[in-house]
Amino acid sequence: MGAVVVTPAAAARVSLVVFGFVCVQQTLMLDLRIGGVHPDIMILLPVAAGIVGGPGRGATMGFWSGLVADLFLPTPFGLSALVGCMVGFAVGMATVALDRSSWWLPLVSGALASIVFVLLYAVLGSILGEPQVLHVDLTRIVVVVSVVNAVLAVPATRLVGWALPEVSTEGIPTSNVGTW
Amino acid sequence: MAKPRRTRRPRTTLIILVLASITIITLDARGGLDRLTSGVKSVANDAFAPVRSGVDDIVEPIGSFLAGSVHYGAVRQQNQKLQDEINHLKAQTQQSQMTEEQLKQLSALLDITYLGNLTTVPTQVTGYDASDFAATITIGVGRDQGVELGMPVVTADGLVGQVVEVAHTTATVRLITDGASTVGVIYGSPGSFASAGGQGAGKPLSVDLVPSGTPLTHGELFETSGLNGASFPASIPVGTVASARTGLTASQETVTLQPLADLAHLRYVSVVLWGPSS
Repeated sequence: MGAVVVTPAAAARVSLVVFGFVCVQQTLMLDLRIGGVHPDIMILLPVAAGIVGGPGRGATMGFWSGLVADLFLPTPFGLSALVGCMVGFAVGMATVALDRSSWWLPLVSGALASIVFVLLYAVLGSILGEPQVLHVDLTRIVVVVSVVNAVLAVPATRLVGWALPEVSTEGIPTSNVGTW
Repeated sequence: MAKPRRTRRPRTTLIILVLASITIITLDARGGLDRLTSGVKSVANDAFAPVRSGVDDIVEPIGSFLAGSVHYGAVRQQNQKLQDEINHLKAQTQQSQMTEEQLKQLSALLDITYLGNLTTVPTQVTGYDASDFAATITIGVGRDQGVELGMPVVTADGLVGQVVEVAHTTATVRLITDGASTVGVIYGSPGSFASAGGQGAGKPLSVDLVPSGTPLTHGELFETSGLNGASFPASIPVGTVASARTGLTASQETVTLQPLADLAHLRYVSVVLWGPSS
């Protein structure tokens, strides 16, 4: 009963999915403007990983996908990683007692987690010396990002579920593991 | 009763990752990691530039095709041939107009009188706002064309912003409307100095250090001051007064500037090959 071993094949799948998300974000999503705001599908990676893999995997995916996202952003390097790992962990913990096969779970998680991500990003960004992040229309960003991510959450969760080695039971109290 | 191991491990993971993130942010901000992250960002942006361009080339005609399919429905079937010809001619005319507009904008960039003898590198704007939290553009020139960090970017109308990240063939420009942007400006005659700061994309600039009761007219021009050590050379038009008012007990006048450059519709800009030490 130890940690799940990540095989090279699993690592390759995860890398492929992250690369795919980055490609779509840096091309289609940056060109798509809804009310002057573009969607941010990179948030879906820690959310999906938290749902299918638990809080630890959610945090890990949030950290690494956040670092990759920060390569293309003018904001502080590491900020997306910080927010991503916290959001991924929170989604994993919040969904630990829920039926992870529910159709509505990715939708609701995607929307709520996106709202939290955007607000946390703005707050932490301003604390870390980037006060201009509070000079944007946060309401509009929250609405656009959360709605688009709610729509894309189900396919994103399926993709990440395919990529991750196996469904994780971490974060679940030992006494409840047998009910799976 | 001790917490089960299964719940302890993810929390440990989270704590480690949060500490790692904070460490990375701190090192990057303090300059220790800045060169490494800049280098990695440069490589990533250079690698994605052709991907971005390729996807744009694919997506644009598909969008045009779909729009055309919906527009030219069944009711236009019997005139399809003539309609196609009309559209073809219209497209040629539009293309010709776009080409003329591009030529006009590019020609304007080649002869920017307010820059004097300063050398410029004209380029196309290839992207807007990589982040919803920063007012930035991406341009199609980089280190290979002589662009360096901190160089001003202008159009024929006035100041656009400053280069904040450079890759080999691309660069990121922070617009003057970005909340982190500050420009030293001069106004009036004889010139008085002030500081114009961004308030967010699409919003006028806010001007500090204008004494209370200063007579300003609507549309009065503010230019870069070029004071020793300033980030921009002198005499680049920045904006015109959009509003100016003084509160009864205020020590400063509340002034806003409308940027002269059309920051919402940038297509071509020029990078001024100039640094604060020039």
